[in-house]
Amino acid sequence: MVALVIALALFFDFTNGFHDTANAMATPIATGAIKPKTAVALAAVLNLVGAFLSTEVAKTVSGGIIKEGSDGIQITPDIIFAGLMGAILWNMITWLKGLPSSSSHALFGGLIGAAIAGIGIHSVNFASLMQKVILPAIFAPIIAGAVAYVCTRLAYALTSRHDPETGSKLTQKRGGFRTGQIFTSSLVALAHGTNDAQKTMGIITLVLIAAGTQEPGSGPQFWVIAACALAIAIGTYAGGWRIIRTMGSGLTDVKPAQGFAAESSTASAILASSHLGFALSTTQVASGSVIGSGLGRKGTSVRWGTAGRIAVGWLFTLPAAGIVGALTALLVKTGIVGVVIAAVAGTGAVLFMFFQSRKSHVGHHNAVEVEEAGQAVRFRKKKALAASRANKLKDGK
Amino acid sequence: MKWLELVQVAGATLLAAATVVVLYSIGVRFTAIAGDPEQSAPRWMKSLAYVCFGLCGVAVLFGLYLIIPYFNK
Repeated sequence: MVALVIALALFFDFTNGFHDTANAMATPIATGAIKPKTAVALAAVLNLVGAFLSTEVAKTVSGGIIKEGSDGIQITPDIIFAGLMGAILWNMITWLKGLPSSSSHALFGGLIGAAIAGIGIHSVNFASLMQKVILPAIFAPIIAGAVAYVCTRLAYALTSRHDPETGSKLTQKRGGFRTGQIFTSSLVALAHGTNDAQKTMGIITLVLIAAGTQEPGSGPQFWVIAACALAIAIGTYAGGWRIIRTMGSGLTDVKPAQGFAAESSTASAILASSHLGFALSTTQVASGSVIGSGLGRKGTSVRWGTAGRIAVGWLFTLPAAGIVGALTALLVKTGIVGVVIAAVAGTGAVLFMFFQSRKSHVGHHNAVEVEEAGQAVRFRKKKALAASRANKLKDGK
Repeated sequence: MKWLELVQVAGATLLAAATVVVLYSIGVRFTAIAGDPEQSAPRWMKSLAYVCFGLCGVAVLFGLYLIIPYFNK
């Protein structure tokens, strides 16, 4: 059972990786700052590095939401198994729909559902749930969005150039932001690695402690850190192209200066919050930033329809993952046969969704229309560059 | 208690992001000025731009230094 749970946890880490590539790399891909394939490779490496940077979050992941410890309820590998099942299935569904939903919320939802069904409603610490999950869910996109809005305004104000005598507009020359995006998006990828890989580390450590192979209260072991870092890196490299499409061009048309501002805000928000012990969701922060930067530039329209679709997805994340988690927990309760049924059904569902996705393939070649983004840029040189890049992509198909 | 932390996160986010964006934007602006064909003395403008980019990089590294627990033990 312990081995099964660890395998499942690593698979969750993998889905987390490819689900969240978009957070870091959607905007630079959309503006043509980095080629799609290079972008995911870069993100994968930085996720790997980021996962090793800190294990602070891992120690606090599941603690608090489900009452555990000597006076609370002993959390068992069965519950974690069920919770992970819920999280993975919800991640796969949202990926199929191209919705950037929060992997962490899926995980929390799954665990909560499993705990309620497996142990009882009293096992969930609702006050802690409110503080750790619900409130950040509301404020994360707002904070990130507001900061991205301010930064976009700043970036445009500082680089807008008028002729001092005639007052007419000069060429703005904002191409420099494109280069900057490479660095800011890398920071986001790094932040994602430090934040999200640790959630899985926390889970595996919890299982090991529950199984009695590790001292309670100790941090994650090295092989756990390494395995999680690898899983999330591989997942990131696989690339969730559907979600990249939504984030990169579905919400608003991103230009380099906006992308730069959005990514700086995302990276700052994630790093600041995880450092100060406030669990924000990477995905929600990134979506908020993209919308904020869209509002910050004059003449940009935010597609509120897509934004609404994403918001609805967020609302459903906790309950939906919770229901799957609860159902799995009930199955697992019936004994070893239930575990086998749950495992087989889960694998079947994941495979079904994978084959479903093959029908309308979204890959690095068609995730974002780079040509379209290139035309948005004023000066000719970059336009030609983007066009030739787009042509190259077409030839590569 | 939780609200204070929230304000802290918001403040830190704004401060960090604004620092990076402002420095980089000024850098971009100087590069743009240095690239103007009619400008007579663009050379020091160019180096000023690099100073801004450099400061921006330093700000990022300092932020990372603050966050990674390895350095603060």
